[in-house]
Amino acid sequence: MKWIKLSVSTTSESVEAVSEILTELGAKGVEIQDAADFKHIDPEAIGPYGEVEDVASIPHLQQGAVVAAYFADDQSIKTITQQLNQRIQALPKFGLSIGAGTIKTTSIKDEDWAEAWKKYYHPTQITRFLTVVPDWETYHPTTPDEYTVILDPGMSFGTGTHPTTTLALLALEKVLRSGQTVFDIGTGSGILSIAASKMGAGLVKAYDLDQVAVAAAKANVALNSDVNNISVMPSNLFQSVTGRADLILANILAEIIDLMIPDIDTFLRSKGRIIFSGIIKDKLPAIEQRLAAYHLAIETKLQEKEWVALIVGREDEL
Amino acid sequence: MAKKVANIVKLQIPAGKATPAPPVGPALGQAGINIMGFTKDFNARTADQAGMIIPVVITVYEDRSFDFVTKTPPAAVLLKKAAGVEHGSGEPNTKKVAKVTKDQVRQIAETKMQDLNAADVEAAMRMVEGTARSMGFTVED
Repeated sequence: MKWIKLSVSTTSESVEAVSEILTELGAKGVEIQDAADFKHIDPEAIGPYGEVEDVASIPHLQQGAVVAAYFADDQSIKTITQQLNQRIQALPKFGLSIGAGTIKTTSIKDEDWAEAWKKYYHPTQITRFLTVVPDWETYHPTTPDEYTVILDPGMSFGTGTHPTTTLALLALEKVLRSGQTVFDIGTGSGILSIAASKMGAGLVKAYDLDQVAVAAAKANVALNSDVNNISVMPSNLFQSVTGRADLILANILAEIIDLMIPDIDTFLRSKGRIIFSGIIKDKLPAIEQRLAAYHLAIETKLQEKEWVALIVGREDEL
Repeated sequence: MAKKVANIVKLQIPAGKATPAPPVGPALGQAGINIMGFTKDFNARTADQAGMIIPVVITVYEDRSFDFVTKTPPAAVLLKKAAGVEHGSGEPNTKKVAKVTKDQVRQIAETKMQDLNAADVEAAMRMVEGTARSMGFTVED
């Protein structure tokens, strides 16, 4: 799919109005560059760890503002551009100065941004034993017990460096036993399934609601030629899942984990464990309550930054 | 530990529903950010406001790690809420779709003041009022 980027050169005072016009024309979001933002940088706006040594070293506009949005490159783009131009030229009537008021059109392919960040992505040792290697790099383990997961992070899903994935992998190293059956719900890139298989799981079934994720996970499984016991299938949480597992993995979000909890008993073998990751700290009390309501108890709690992962089992089996 | 800021990216995107599609992908890919890392964090932190467009300022550090802060909703979103309509007018010159009072404009200007590049509340009000009129809203005293 090709995209057209429409960039409107305007003034700081028209940013809000131009953003709204682009949104009403169907943009799924806008990108704003405003010279005024750099006149006085708000320390709160740059996060708790930020330090601006020299504003000039940060790329920014010297004057005015540019509001940009992306539209699919199809027949409608001409009409959209015309309407956009009409609406912008009318802004002075409503008391807003439009500045240059010009529209720049740039054609962009999907791959452009997918490639852009690859150059910053290198083999990363995630845990004591596990190193994630992007498929375009060559890497040789440095110790005998180190294993590698080869991934093409492509445009989507976890790369292993996100705290939620790191915590899930650490939990996996702690609880997985050789030969066990593992369900990975919301597999994304497939990283947890591949790691589970390499750590000795007997059988791994990976599921995701998103067809793009299913395809990405299958492709990543195929990149790891020593792995042959993972199946990847579409499923909305447990909807298409059959059988029971010794270990259920779910690195999703608290809101989704909440939906899964009532079904755990149906899909978990006796003395099985669940690894829930992706829980933002604030949501932990709600998850704890929900677990208790379904007679599930927390065996281990792991935290990194604001993210929490839980190893959970039936309360009468821990 | 302070980290050197390499880039600052400002977007307005739907809360809880960010994807690598534009504008997130191109804006962050260019800045060298792990796109999914951002969308996952952003969606988790904004899940409570799902569907609402919210401004976000992303700070990219020299080591390509990043932080972000979400801002007050866009003036247009607050205006639509105040007027009780879902959309502005496609033809704001001729077709008026809603009205707001000067007091409502002032309230929105005060709410947004911290995030607008306006010298004072009066300037912020002019921006909000202009935005309202550009959406086919009439502004009444």
